[in-house]
Amino acid sequence: MTVPGGPASAGGPAVRCRSLGVSFGAVRALHGVSLDLAPGRIHALVGQNGAGKTTLAKVLGGLQAPDAGDVHIAGRKLPSGDVRAARAAGLAMVHQHFSLPPSFTVAEALELTAARPGGRSVYRRAELHQRWQDDVAEIGGEAVLSTRIRDLPVETRQSLEIMRALATEARVLVLDEPTALLAPAAIDALFERLRRLRDGGVTVLVVLHKLREVAAVADTVSVLRDGELALGPIEMSEVSQGRLSDAIVGPASQADRAVGVEAATGTERRTLLELVRVSSRESAFEPGLRDVDLRVEAGEIVGIAGVEGNGQRSLVSVIAGLDVAAEGTVLIGGADATRAPPAGRRLRGLRLVPFDRNSEGISRRAPLWLNQSALRLVERRRRRLPLISLRQYKQQAAMEMDQWRVRYDAVTQPAESLSGGNVQRLILSRELAPGLEVLVAAQPTRGLDFAATDFVRRSLRGLRDAGAGVLLVSSDLDELFENSDRLHVMYGGRIVARFEAPYDRRAVGDAMTGARR
Amino acid sequence: MTGSLQRVASTLLLVGVSFLLTTLILWASGYRVSEVFSGVIEGSLTATGAATSSIRWAIPLLLIGLGVVIGFRAGFFNIGGQGQFYVGACCALVVSLGWRDGPAPLVVLCGTAAAIMAGSAWSLLPGYLRVRFGTDEVLTTLMMNFIGALVLQYLTAGPMRNPSGTGQTAASERIPEAFRITDGSGVSATALLLVGGVAVLVWLLLERTRFGLTIVLVGRNPTMARWQGIDVRRVGLVTFALSGALAGLAGAVELYGPGARLVTGFSPEVGFTAVVVALVGLLSVWGTAAAAIFFGGLQSAILFLPIVTDLPPPALVLLHGMVALLVTVKFRSVRWRRPGSPAEALTA
Repeated sequence: MTVPGGPASAGGPAVRCRSLGVSFGAVRALHGVSLDLAPGRIHALVGQNGAGKTTLAKVLGGLQAPDAGDVHIAGRKLPSGDVRAARAAGLAMVHQHFSLPPSFTVAEALELTAARPGGRSVYRRAELHQRWQDDVAEIGGEAVLSTRIRDLPVETRQSLEIMRALATEARVLVLDEPTALLAPAAIDALFERLRRLRDGGVTVLVVLHKLREVAAVADTVSVLRDGELALGPIEMSEVSQGRLSDAIVGPASQADRAVGVEAATGTERRTLLELVRVSSRESAFEPGLRDVDLRVEAGEIVGIAGVEGNGQRSLVSVIAGLDVAAEGTVLIGGADATRAPPAGRRLRGLRLVPFDRNSEGISRRAPLWLNQSALRLVERRRRRLPLISLRQYKQQAAMEMDQWRVRYDAVTQPAESLSGGNVQRLILSRELAPGLEVLVAAQPTRGLDFAATDFVRRSLRGLRDAGAGVLLVSSDLDELFENSDRLHVMYGGRIVARFEAPYDRRAVGDAMTGARR
Repeated sequence: MTGSLQRVASTLLLVGVSFLLTTLILWASGYRVSEVFSGVIEGSLTATGAATSSIRWAIPLLLIGLGVVIGFRAGFFNIGGQGQFYVGACCALVVSLGWRDGPAPLVVLCGTAAAIMAGSAWSLLPGYLRVRFGTDEVLTTLMMNFIGALVLQYLTAGPMRNPSGTGQTAASERIPEAFRITDGSGVSATALLLVGGVAVLVWLLLERTRFGLTIVLVGRNPTMARWQGIDVRRVGLVTFALSGALAGLAGAVELYGPGARLVTGFSPEVGFTAVVVALVGLLSVWGTAAAAIFFGGLQSAILFLPIVTDLPPPALVLLHGMVALLVTVKFRSVRWRRPGSPAEALTA
């Protein structure tokens, strides 16, 4: 066999995964994934959020030990979950989020992280610069050795990350969503660079979200769906965009069945939540909102589809008041709430099921009754004495949790002792109490089992039928199709497409991946 | 209920283990085991004036400790009790000496109010930095302690210095006797009523108001609290102000009580012991009261030790330190302290 880091053995795959499986608790992140990547080519890996792409990349890089299966690089089996072994075998990773220390100069960061042989523990600046001069010149642009990392533009930082990864003379390069933060021109430059690497014999695996980008750069493509390999690796020339879309979002047999819900009847069409030309600042992980117009009326469920990271979190934050709209107007119950604090919006009947139930929805270490009572702490009820009765709070919490059939032993037990489905019931018991006008439900069924999922969806529909408004943000297209009266697709912080039932899965999928603008 | 019993038991066990370890070390150094115990018992309880002295030291520990309880419950590691205590005492002193012919009740009331406000302000500065910029309050409150000590030193060695004083350490002039709420023993009905009343008020605030519950939610998970519409910054500022107010009040009680004047660097570790008191008291009001009495007794025993046994006072400082060490280890493992700032938690 070849020496680690040397050229891949002729004929054999550069990377071979055999029936990889990774589980996080009850969630199967990867299941039975077998994948061969031919040397000297650019392989794209696509899939919806939560499909297992990042997990697979981490397994390859040795950052995540698989529960089952193994990884071979250039014919050699890697010890599982060993970053250094993966590196020694010639595999380098570029992470989704930048990993170079922001306060270091370019030269310092490279010396620290690139682990090129010949370094010394004591150095002089001039010497350091000399060591890295050529590498940095290759990137061009604004990378000057004495610049601090934090002062560099994003695309230069990206180039540096790649250069750092390659400084170890890697033969396999894994990039996890490298385009997420880049401007279009920078993406083109990145792709050009990947092609040059390929021509130099490097095998590239790149995780991408957008089909346009896949078409632009990849030689082969593989699709992950729900932790399983749904397609590929297949040559790009042999696959149509439609087939890719189908593989990403689910089997066509289901897709063709037009699903929709009957609109509730007899309710007065009152606008409960409205966003008018709202823009917000971008966060570290997501684009901000750009010119978003949105209306939720009484008695309807409005769905928000989109690949995660396209502004859904910004949208919910701006509605909740956790983030302030830079431009535009937010109306809740017909009144301007653009500057209202979160508590004020709650008082107007806004209720929230947050994205991450364990960190945003509940306090894991606080007792159940306190979690259940959280909203009662912000209501502005005047009373003669400020004193409250804890027993009353506990009783009321117990009553409401019983109504929603939360299974628990004692109201004083910490919320972390509940299962995922039970936690969601606890959250619903708190949020879906009288006073609700409009509910924003973000990923309300993520990670729940079938029964709990069904329960949550029925609750949302029940709410709609009772005349409330619901904004449902989800990455589960089936959930959106089956429950939404109207469906919007977010892409890059904008609402790029609006659909009404019955939905065309292909069209929605295209809008989500940016194929249709 | 069994959970809280367990926590009390494990804390008592921890204090027991500290005793054991201390005894072991002293025994290995050649002291008799019986001496350690008799020293503690006599110095804190049975010697003449020892019991009173225990209570005298428990008072500032309880007041500052209650402030620590409020801060820690909200997830803020306000360890600036010492500095807040000093500036509180200083402001009460300035008011009392500046208006020494005023009617006693009014002057004491004004002096106490000034102490409370000064303590709050001393605490609010790091509090504001914390909620506005995320500056680590452990560092800032700690640093504010040094500044507080220097303010005290400036006053006692400068403008408020007693010119006839001949002692080695600088001390202020004495306040008029009429202003005092206790004699030199530091214990009186007024002082006990005041401290007891404050403890009841703090208990009501923490256990019987919505704000008390809000503090717990913010302390346990600020991200969730924000999603629920709770103004986490406001809660943070209020808790910082309350912690400082209680420490400032302790400063006033010290001046109008046993002190009658301020000496440079008086009661140098009371603010830090109060943190241990709150932790040993499991951040509950009555637990803190019990722990304050225990540590008050220890403090008293340290002072009485040269009188009652051959054991050197540092022997009990060792015991004190041992409890502090073990309780801190336990506390860190429980992780009351939040792992990251609200902003981090939100974007993660």
